[in-house]
Amino acid sequence: MREQPDGAALLAIAREVLLRELLPGLPEDKVYAARMIANAMSIAERQLRAGEEPQREERGALVVLLQREGGLAELNHELAARIRQGGFDGNREAWSLLWDSTLQRVRESAPKALPASDRMG
Amino acid sequence: MTMREEHRRALESFLSTKAEAREVRLVDARLLSGGAIQENWLLTAVVSGGPHEGVLECVLRSDAASGVSVSHDRAQEFALLREAFRAGVTVPEPLWLGDGSVLGRAFFVMRKARGTAAGHRIVKDLGLGGDREALTERLGAELARLHAIRPPMEALSFLPVPALSPALRGVKEFQSFLDGHHTAFPALEWGIRWLERHAPRTPELVLTHRDFRTGNYMLDEAGLTAVLDWEFAAWSDPLEDLGWFCARCWRFGQFDKEAGGIGSREALARGYARVSGRTLDWEAVRYWEVFAHARWAVIALQQGERHVSGREPSLELALTAHVVPELELELLSMTGGRNA
Repeated sequence: MREQPDGAALLAIAREVLLRELLPGLPEDKVYAARMIANAMSIAERQLRAGEEPQREERGALVVLLQREGGLAELNHELAARIRQGGFDGNREAWSLLWDSTLQRVRESAPKALPASDRMG
Repeated sequence: MTMREEHRRALESFLSTKAEAREVRLVDARLLSGGAIQENWLLTAVVSGGPHEGVLECVLRSDAASGVSVSHDRAQEFALLREAFRAGVTVPEPLWLGDGSVLGRAFFVMRKARGTAAGHRIVKDLGLGGDREALTERLGAELARLHAIRPPMEALSFLPVPALSPALRGVKEFQSFLDGHHTAFPALEWGIRWLERHAPRTPELVLTHRDFRTGNYMLDEAGLTAVLDWEFAAWSDPLEDLGWFCARCWRFGQFDKEAGGIGSREALARGYARVSGRTLDWEAVRYWEVFAHARWAVIALQQGERHVSGREPSLELALTAHVVPELELELLSMTGGRNA
């Protein structure tokens, strides 16, 4: 068993200290760097909280769409190649898979950019 | 950072020759922040004698000491600035070009423009730029003046004339980057495939800026003072600049102000039509807004890779890679459903 609080919780509280205690005392030319650090910490925290499940789901969906087995990176390479060749032009299933997996990456990397309907998810 | 003494002296002598002055004294030289590829120095010089007599404030732009330049070199950028200036585009007045014999690397000097360029500030601080619809109209007019420059043009002969249509040239560039990249980006690939299938013909090439967006022009309290960053300029479809300017990803969060996060499309079109006589077809511009998201995603991946590869560890570059998912989501949104 790992210690509590875990990595994600540590990042969250460390970020609080950065933004609430350190940032107000920083000279103006260091504010941007501090904000970038806070942003990086929150991306890392969200990735930790999401865990590996979204990647497993994405791989499962790729297996169904492409009708073959394989690792996540390999299946994404195949999907990309088939899209380029025109094999999925206008294809709704392919588009939906891409939408779901991209939405998950936006949740982790830039939740402020989520469409309003997905923001609570 | 301060300038080395021998560079200072070499520069004073260069400036006094070019300014036809008796003497030029550099009273201040400071390195401006930003620019991994170029260095920008803000110079304050006291000029005695000649047509520039008085205090001259200017910016010296050189290759960075360690920079590997993938964009235009300084002499080319100077030529672009000069043509844009001649065409009546509001740019920092290009003054003089210097070769490697002065500072050890090529540079040019342009007159300093007043104000601020920071995109996040510009979209929120309405004390800048004067009336926003008038400003947006003005930017449309600026683009139209630029787009009046057509090939062939001797001074810009270093710009390649694309064999493919500019849209398909972009598609090929994006694909060849992704082919050399370690990770697949199928959503981006979807967007690029859409761009390939819907690529417009470009009946006439014009000089385009290719980075004309909020964040790359300067404003003071009254209005526009300068359009900056000419290093990506190329012969292309005029609508590429309009699509880049209006693309959702360049509105700095002010999504309802569809022209650059600062104004309306109507105002932009008004300014463009006033100078060019051309009415903008927004459906045609929309193609270039999709293109803008793909192009920015590719650039963001390239910047992120500078960090990921270990060549250039940088938090800013690392975070740029995390812009890619939202650009892909917008690409999917623009090219799915009935638009597929």
